[in-house]
Amino acid sequence: MLNFAWLIFVPPLAALLVNLFFGRRLGRAAVGFLGAAAVGLSFLVAVAMLIGLWRLPVEQRTVTILLWSWIEIGQFRPEIALLIDPLSTLMALVVTGVGFLIHVYSIGYMKLDDEHHELDVRRYVRYFVFVNFFIVAMLALVLGNNLLLLYLGWEGVGLASYLLIGFWFHKPSARDAGKKAFIVNRIGDFGMALAILLIFRQLAITGEAAQAGSLAFYDIFAVIEANPAALLGIAVAASLLMLLAATGKSAQIPLWVWLPDAMEGPTPVSALIHAATMVTAGVYMIVRMSPLFELATVAGSNVMLVVAWIGGLTALMGATIALTKTDLKRILAYSTVSQLGFMFMAVGVGSYVAAMFHLTTHAVFKACLFLGAGAVMHATHGELNINKMGGLKDKMRSTYLTFTIAAAALAGFPLMSGYFSKDAILVAEFGAHQYLLYVLGLGTALLTAIYAFKMVFVVFWGQPRDKKLYDHAHEQPRLMTWPLWILAFLAIFGGLINLPFVASLEHWIEPIYELGPVGAAGHPDVAMEIVLLVLSALTALVGIYLAYFFYVKQPGRTDAIRERLSALHQVASAGYYFDRVYDSIRQGLWSTAHFLADTIDRGGIDGAVNGVARGVGWLGERTRRLQTGLVGVYALTMFVGLVIVLGYFLITSLVN
Amino acid sequence: MTEGLNFDYTVFIPEFLLLGLAAAIVALDLAYPAIRKQWLAYIAGCGLLATAGVSLAWIDVETNFADLVVVDNYLTYFRVFFMVIAAVVAFASADLVAQRLKHPGEYYGLIIVSTVGAIGMAGARELMTAYLSLELLSFSLYILVSYAKFDRRSNEAGMKYILLGAFSSAMFLYGMSLIYGITGTTYYSGIAAALGERATDFEWALLMGLVLMIAGIGFKIAAVPFHMWTPDAYEGAPVAVTAYLATTSKAAGFAFVLPLFSNAFQVVHDDWSWMLAGMAAATMILGNVVALQQRNIKRLMAYSSIGQVGYLLMGVAALSHASASALVLHLTGYMVSNLALFVVIIAWVHMNDSEEIADFRGMRERAPLLAGVLAGALFSLAGLPLFAGFVTKFILFQAATDDGYLWLAAIGVTTSVISLYYYLQVMREAFVSAPAEGAGPLPVPLLMRGLAVAMMLGVFYVGLYPQQLFDAIDNATRFLFV
Repeated sequence: MLNFAWLIFVPPLAALLVNLFFGRRLGRAAVGFLGAAAVGLSFLVAVAMLIGLWRLPVEQRTVTILLWSWIEIGQFRPEIALLIDPLSTLMALVVTGVGFLIHVYSIGYMKLDDEHHELDVRRYVRYFVFVNFFIVAMLALVLGNNLLLLYLGWEGVGLASYLLIGFWFHKPSARDAGKKAFIVNRIGDFGMALAILLIFRQLAITGEAAQAGSLAFYDIFAVIEANPAALLGIAVAASLLMLLAATGKSAQIPLWVWLPDAMEGPTPVSALIHAATMVTAGVYMIVRMSPLFELATVAGSNVMLVVAWIGGLTALMGATIALTKTDLKRILAYSTVSQLGFMFMAVGVGSYVAAMFHLTTHAVFKACLFLGAGAVMHATHGELNINKMGGLKDKMRSTYLTFTIAAAALAGFPLMSGYFSKDAILVAEFGAHQYLLYVLGLGTALLTAIYAFKMVFVVFWGQPRDKKLYDHAHEQPRLMTWPLWILAFLAIFGGLINLPFVASLEHWIEPIYELGPVGAAGHPDVAMEIVLLVLSALTALVGIYLAYFFYVKQPGRTDAIRERLSALHQVASAGYYFDRVYDSIRQGLWSTAHFLADTIDRGGIDGAVNGVARGVGWLGERTRRLQTGLVGVYALTMFVGLVIVLGYFLITSLVN
Repeated sequence: MTEGLNFDYTVFIPEFLLLGLAAAIVALDLAYPAIRKQWLAYIAGCGLLATAGVSLAWIDVETNFADLVVVDNYLTYFRVFFMVIAAVVAFASADLVAQRLKHPGEYYGLIIVSTVGAIGMAGARELMTAYLSLELLSFSLYILVSYAKFDRRSNEAGMKYILLGAFSSAMFLYGMSLIYGITGTTYYSGIAAALGERATDFEWALLMGLVLMIAGIGFKIAAVPFHMWTPDAYEGAPVAVTAYLATTSKAAGFAFVLPLFSNAFQVVHDDWSWMLAGMAAATMILGNVVALQQRNIKRLMAYSSIGQVGYLLMGVAALSHASASALVLHLTGYMVSNLALFVVIIAWVHMNDSEEIADFRGMRERAPLLAGVLAGALFSLAGLPLFAGFVTKFILFQAATDDGYLWLAAIGVTTSVISLYYYLQVMREAFVSAPAEGAGPLPVPLLMRGLAVAMMLGVFYVGLYPQQLFDAIDNATRFLFV
């Protein structure tokens, strides 16, 4: 029935191979078309998967498609197999759908390089090869049926991200950003690999490997359900290691520092990889492995609450930093960090539906915001400082309107998609009696509304601050504005997939997981839920008004406030000093490695060799003197040797 | 004494063939000095492959020669293994040796003779036989390392290698004599039997013997702290010999260690397991950390190979049938990836005359096929999924955790995470940096391209369909644990 699902990999894989080998001869137009069309075809396959799955009865909506058995060693028998269930299908739809629009946008955007010269055709080809590779890896991540395939995709998207962050490799800042993302993510990957080893070892020890030796998700869950004691011993350690991996990939505390720097990559990459898809992999992974996380919570260590609080703190910190930044893409990056924090909050209280809902709507409106930022950059010769912009709304009509719609969705403007999804998370916090997290979330939502509309007002409203930039500004070609409009449309109506009281997404996702003890906290009653809805709406409106007040009506006031809160402002704009601390750790490690290399490699080798040479010379000198031909000396030597050997045996027998 | 022993010389037919081949190539070079030297490589390579085919006749045969050498699937596996490696190295050396080295006949002769030594190490079930095989391999390698007669670095490297090699041989011999003193025999099976009923008095002598033997072996496989010679020997040796050092010499050490420890010392597993575990940990950490700082590709490969030895030692420390199979599987995957990488390095270094990693720049444009294989091989060494290195390393780590060495596996995971970093540095030069001014496309010989592609296919074969290979290996290591 769903056996065609593997076809989803074929178009991007084929396109990347064709572009890799023949790209330069095909020319730009064909390369771009091929790259984008391939992802479009994958999207159609994803839609077909959705329909196919929809037509199945609810309890049969987990389909495993075996492609081949990878290896079978004793009970270790991972397979290359796809898992098609509501969760993976939703992810595949987001990845290919948003991915397709961003690819189309890239056709126009990537014609110019970062200094607005025409981009070399080879680099153009390379760009599309990399992003198609990213799509393939991301699909492997979300569609793989076992932990090893998840890991495969996990590494693959990390590699694509590294390559694309450093795409403008002639800029030292881009190279450094790539390196940083790489190192930070490897720390996370380490957690992932170790968690997998730990899980398999435990399965083998407890004799459950016969059941779950494939490391397939549902086999592991079956073990957890049938014999919770089997994995209980390592549930806490494994889920914490996985959480470490998730904080790396999804830029949460403590491993969030790479994402803002990742903005050195081309803007469509920021939209695709560092906002809409890859960075949500951590959320997806925890949702996927939630039975393990819940088991750890049952075991007595509330790992879920750790997840929720990491999310909550990251959300708040990200939003405060976003407020202090003036670089358009950095604001959006910190906003992404903050919104991912919301998703972690939802996951942490067991509301996987709210997390996935927000993941989906966020992918749409944040992609729209990034692509809009890209359009602004193109129009202003790569300028990113919002304090040099202003008044662009008359010059860039489509960009302005779509950016505003997406910003409204981000701010949680009533009835927009972001409003419903963010509210779902807040309601979940309330329902789980995590009132502190609820208040934290509501406060963050207020800050979100402020910085979202700060961008709109400063960039598009008011008077031009830089005449030259303003004169140069112009609207972008249709190939770039159409994706913006489609995304904006979805940003408005995307909330329909999970309206409160209608809840179709909920019915779609929820049946695949029997809600565990954590998620069982459930909803507050209807009256309370309506109160919360209204509260969310008011928060967003107040935030937007505050932005209007401070950035349009009385722009001078912000300076006064900044001065009043200078200490706080400084801490926030320095990213809470995470970077500085990590930098000193990194330097410490690096000098250790250097020391090791210097002393053990160079010093050690040469020292040893010179030492041997000197030693041989010395020995020669001595022996020349020892070989005196005097029998007495020889006898003495033998005697000394005998004493040493006898002494050795004496000592050993005493020890025993 | 000799009654009941099997003196059937036919079991050595593959080795006789190899020695004949070696003699024939040396004679050919002497008799026809005008012959195109590449032909010697082709003859050596084809002869080795043909002999590998002949040795397949011993599949599922179980026999022995005077109990000194056992012929079973384990030996058959390593016969094919070493002959294929030697063939690839011979083919890959064709142009390099013809144009840069003197006396090509002896070069190929020595490679073939050393292969016989490596095979002997895998087949030996008696210490003196093993020792002779080991020295046959070592002496051939001493000469090969210093083969670039007029290159000071090569001479210096050869000298260091000989001095330290002799030192390690002496340690190994002394260890052997202690073991002989305790057990009264040099046969593996006899040692195991004697150790099984040993009196406690010999505990210290046994420990001393084991320490000394492990130190000697540690030298051969370049495990920390006996690794010192590796970077210098790798750097000084002609690049094709470096490839041979990194493959056959290393693999032979493990092919020898597995039967030795499983047949002779498994009964005292607790006495040596911790030593090897400690060595594995130190080797993984030091090799991978120091590799971060290297600028020369041969030195980088030296430290990378030290790191890999650490992973392999994990399998010896946790010795069981499962971990032995995992070890040989990883060894095979590692060798295939290593050969793929070295084919690229040999071709590139030969044509560009530089061993600096920085001079790999622009490979993507100048030799795209080589660059592709380079990337694949490096990904495999780093253990990225889809490539050989991931699945084999994962199985090895998992086998180690099964035997209680979770902490070793954790170090292994950490250090492989580190290793990707220095592998990517090579890749960055090859793919991102622009070629030097005026450097055009390189005319890579067809043979090198074919070899590179063949090795790459091998990497994917092990990475994607490891089942057949694993079954073959499992069927081979089974004989060590009967």
